[in-house]
Amino acid sequence: MAKGGTQSRKYRLQGAGLDLALPYLMLAPGLLIVLGVLVYPLWDGLRASTEAYRYGSVVANVGMQNYIKLWSDPQFLNALWVTVKFVALSVTFEAILGFALALFCLREFRGIRLLRTILIIPMVITPVVVAIVFRLIYASDAGMLTAISEWMGGGQVQILGSPVKAFFGLVVLDVWEWTPLMFLILLAGLQSLPHEPFEAARVDGAGNWRVFADLTFPMMRPVLAIAIVLRTIDAFGTFDQVFVLTRGGPGEATRLVSIYGYDTAFKFQQTGYAAALFVTIGLVVLALAFSAVRLLRRVDAS
Amino acid sequence: MNSRLARIGVMSAVLAIVLLPIYWLVSTSLKSNREITQEGTLYPHVPTLDNYIRLFTEKQFGAYLTNSLVVTFFSVAIALVAGAMGAYAIARFRLPFAMERKVGLFLLTLRIVPPVVILIPVYLLMLKLGLLDTWLGLIATYTAFNITFCVWMMESFFREIPVDLEEAAMVDGDSRFGAFRRITLPLAAPGLAATAIFAVLVTFNEFLFALALTATPRAMTMPRGTATLIGRIDTDWASMSAAGVIGALPIVFFALLVQRHLVRGLTMGAVK
Repeated sequence: MAKGGTQSRKYRLQGAGLDLALPYLMLAPGLLIVLGVLVYPLWDGLRASTEAYRYGSVVANVGMQNYIKLWSDPQFLNALWVTVKFVALSVTFEAILGFALALFCLREFRGIRLLRTILIIPMVITPVVVAIVFRLIYASDAGMLTAISEWMGGGQVQILGSPVKAFFGLVVLDVWEWTPLMFLILLAGLQSLPHEPFEAARVDGAGNWRVFADLTFPMMRPVLAIAIVLRTIDAFGTFDQVFVLTRGGPGEATRLVSIYGYDTAFKFQQTGYAAALFVTIGLVVLALAFSAVRLLRRVDAS
Repeated sequence: MNSRLARIGVMSAVLAIVLLPIYWLVSTSLKSNREITQEGTLYPHVPTLDNYIRLFTEKQFGAYLTNSLVVTFFSVAIALVAGAMGAYAIARFRLPFAMERKVGLFLLTLRIVPPVVILIPVYLLMLKLGLLDTWLGLIATYTAFNITFCVWMMESFFREIPVDLEEAAMVDGDSRFGAFRRITLPLAAPGLAATAIFAVLVTFNEFLFALALTATPRAMTMPRGTATLIGRIDTDWASMSAAGVIGALPIVFFALLVQRHLVRGLTMGAVK
């Protein structure tokens, strides 16, 4: 009886006839589209990255030359440096602010619903529009900062004309847009922590700071790490906001690798070189992601 | 009392930081260009809807909106159907050589690769196929991106649904696919909704590929169309701010409408 049961169960799960082909039939549509529009281009991109282009057509196969050239191209190195600075600063601020806000909202109080609703807005608004919003804040003639300054009796405020201010202006934009996501992820993480250790600590008379340092923070480390990794990967590819806000300027102050790559491909028509640049960025991000995953496993194991 | 005061303080600060920039966008969109640049008023003294009317009569925003809606609808719908089936196959079947697991891992890896990496080859592909500046070119691209996301999301939703229910349906004479369609899929509806919502959001807002793949109002989406107003020496702040409002309005409205699902979609994966 029991044996017959397992057999019929197995029969049902493995299926027969048309059911045998079902898994493949169900996987096929998605896989075909992905193979055609993602995987083929990925492969084609690798090919393009070894070619030299002139006016949009291949003129020579140059092997790894494009990749080697990248590392002696001062514009690429600068773009990479600007990107790393931008990502590190933005994500750090977002993590700290988001964590603080999540801790603050952990205890239910009136108005928390409203707060959560409002905080959704920055991250769902089209990034292009977010950039327009910040241009309208920073603009020296039509800007909010200028308007406020003039209202208080001051003069025009210049942000996007100065390299340093424009860079920090971009960081502020990113923090405004993405702190809410950090907040939501960390809040969900905090809410899923078990209650017992905290109650026990309270009974033992631990203060707020001790509870945070000995319990909350260590227990939140995996969630915090994942949130930071997700944001870092995402921030590395930032394009839309810079394209609209500063187009990479003034000079090269806000020119991230994505912007440099785009210009190389579509403005300067150096298709092969740009393809090599993008492949390199992809490898950097993948390496980041994998080392982060390994790091997380080690943290979990210890 | 003290902590209550602190709460009110933090709440107001957060609200002000989030809402003031948005207020300024809306307020600017209701001013004339003269009022914006020369008077620097803090609120529109002579409110006007001219900027909005101009967008639709002179600047083709009706076309951009149509393109966005069509492209978003089809790429999300196709990805949902193909993605849900693929996710189900990965979650439920055990194929030879653990093929289903390899496919899942493969799709996840593709998801981590930043989209910019394939920007150029996708452009070359669409150029070759004559799909530049068409709905189809954008739909194909977005569908592929959405599929990797849908499979990844839906797989975990399907895993949460007990197999017993499907088995019961099959004992009652349903086919495997019938059990999937009539039993599992309806049970996974909340997950499907969260997935769809997130995909709509990302697709509607996408800019980089729209920038590279479209060039005229024939296929330009909202974000792409909005960007055409930018970059001249003399910035038309009035049109730009009105375009910002029009571009953001549908998606913000949509997001607030489906808030609960959205938060789940956004935070899922990070918190198990």
